[in-house]
Amino acid sequence: MPARRTTRFVPKRPADRFAILDLDAFRKSVDDWLDEHDAELAPAYDGAGTLDKRMAQISKVRRLAFDAGWARWGWAESAGGFGGSTILRAYLSEAVTACDLVEPGLYSMPEVLGPSVLTYARPALSATMLPPLLRGDEVWCQGFSEPGTGSNLAALTCRATRSDDGWRVTGQKVWTSLSQYAQRCVLLTRTGSVESAHRGITALFVDMDAYGITIRPIETMDGEQEFSEVFFDDVVVPFDRTLGGEGDGWAFAMDLLPYERSTALWQRAAWLHRRLADLVRTAEPGALDPTALGEVTQLVYAFRARSRATQHRMAAGGEIGAETSIDKVLLATAEQALFDLAAEALPAAITGGDDVASERWRSEFLYSRAATIYGGTAEIQRNIIARRLLDLGSDR
Amino acid sequence: MIEGDDLDLFERSLEHATASHTGPALDAALEDLGWHDALAADERAAVSRLFALQGTANVTSSALDDVLAHALDRDRHAVVLPAIGRWTAPAALDRGRLTVDGLATASVRTRAVAVVVARVDETHSLFEFDITTLRRRSIDGVDPSLALVAVEGEIDGGTEIGPVDWPSAVALGQLALGHELVGASRRMLDLAREHALDRIQFGQPIAMFQAVRHRLADTLVAIEAADAALEAAWLDRASVSAAMAKAMAGRAARTACRHCQQVLAGIGFTTEHPFHRYVRRILVLEQLLGAPRSLTRELGDEVLTTRLLPALVPL
Repeated sequence: MPARRTTRFVPKRPADRFAILDLDAFRKSVDDWLDEHDAELAPAYDGAGTLDKRMAQISKVRRLAFDAGWARWGWAESAGGFGGSTILRAYLSEAVTACDLVEPGLYSMPEVLGPSVLTYARPALSATMLPPLLRGDEVWCQGFSEPGTGSNLAALTCRATRSDDGWRVTGQKVWTSLSQYAQRCVLLTRTGSVESAHRGITALFVDMDAYGITIRPIETMDGEQEFSEVFFDDVVVPFDRTLGGEGDGWAFAMDLLPYERSTALWQRAAWLHRRLADLVRTAEPGALDPTALGEVTQLVYAFRARSRATQHRMAAGGEIGAETSIDKVLLATAEQALFDLAAEALPAAITGGDDVASERWRSEFLYSRAATIYGGTAEIQRNIIARRLLDLGSDR
Repeated sequence: MIEGDDLDLFERSLEHATASHTGPALDAALEDLGWHDALAADERAAVSRLFALQGTANVTSSALDDVLAHALDRDRHAVVLPAIGRWTAPAALDRGRLTVDGLATASVRTRAVAVVVARVDETHSLFEFDITTLRRRSIDGVDPSLALVAVEGEIDGGTEIGPVDWPSAVALGQLALGHELVGASRRMLDLAREHALDRIQFGQPIAMFQAVRHRLADTLVAIEAADAALEAAWLDRASVSAAMAKAMAGRAARTACRHCQQVLAGIGFTTEHPFHRYVRRILVLEQLLGAPRSLTRELGDEVLTTRLLPALVPL
């Protein structure tokens, strides 16, 4: 097997000037730091850049924020963090998104995968793996969906069987975001019989440079190769890379998905707010219908308000569960409404503009079409709301 | 601030009062349980709790007058509201003549001394007057149990109290109405949910059908969005925040009306089921201190004029 990076991070207690646990003080310090390091943090390219360049930019921002200490607040000390409220890391995500240093979707990956890995991985594994993730030295991907398993996650068939060397994994994943950049994959596998459905699923933490993994990127309609098909051909995964125990994969997924549907979306409200402000500044007089503009403003406000309440509930140690489907529906509704409005108000830019700003509107409009699909479709979210929040009983 | 056990006790008292009384009897019960003191001590706790419960129970009180009177620093006075759909001051002072075109709640029958806010040049001023000097017309309309009264005419012999912050009073009233709309919407959703689970068609509860489930899920999403906007609006109490929250609460209530009516189907269209009372109430509440569409348009116009969005809610 190829050599694996073995960089070790020894969490140090922060110097006094970083010993900040209060949100207002943290906000002020992060804002000052962003101002002071403006030039260093800025992207090395004009306009949207390529996906490679944007990933490198995210990695740079994470590294600078980690080395300065900011990216360690809100994460457990056992994972290389400084501890403190999760609100602190939410603020950092918002701050780096709000000043356009990183794009909110790609940047949120540690918020999707980190918390559940921290809960389910052996302490030694999470202590080794979390710091390089938070520092931007590594990228993780999420191996959940399969060609035959979109909304019906419990039907997955990517098989893991026991051998003397560890698990042997054979099967295929799809829509795996950033897998071509990833050093690690959080992978759901079938370890029970096919009929065992959600009971026979096991989550594994897989090295992406392992022998037998093939990645085929897929181009999306906004022209990016953000996700891929990932093929596993008899890939060996050590038993100590099991997240939780055998058969705990469904519980792991149910723990993870609420983060993907809520706290990982937090910084998108700041992004939508900024893009709406850009639209108001850019649109020709008369191009924006006041009632439609007012409604989009309200949708962004309500999503932000809901997402804020979720952040505070997580910080207070509250449950992050089925109610996050509401956060996801509100994001998708607000995002699509905003870019629908942009398409109406900036028709020349969206259809034919060849400048950087036009290309960005076009790309974001197209990307927004996926908001009701990824992370559980709009229909799946409504099914969850009906079953779990309204207690209407199972529909199967 | 009302917190902890005090808040629990206050909420339980309100639950009991709104479940047992309506109209003047509810006013008396609110007086007994210390609603006025609570309003003075903690506007957010008092207003959000009472109005949500009042909406859920479909009862009436003089609490909206109380809230506006409190904001205008004239406790226990009747307050003239703007006419249906409006949020501008209901009176105008022009060459010494004070004319009113507004609404009063049932409280004018028990509170003789009323106050009204008039627009005076670019500011607002408060006047105290005897309500019986105005033309009054009872509004039966779509929701007779609200017992609204249209008041109009010229005030003779009013006393000018002085300048007031009308936009802040409107904001507090909009928050109160927003919570009442959300409370009513939650109750409509409960009624539709119970029906969907009880009603058997094609051999199973209609709650099993995805078309029904998604209508109810969309209703909950709309309600939670409005509730989140209301909670955020309490953080800064800005006029623009309260107006957004009121607009969203009104729109959520209409969404609840539409979907829950459809799920309740025939029985929900009769007076044998309580649903129609909520529809009637919502049609009026969504209009008081600004209807969703006009508040939304006003917001859009404001953003286009200033080229500025309302501030991002801080984390």
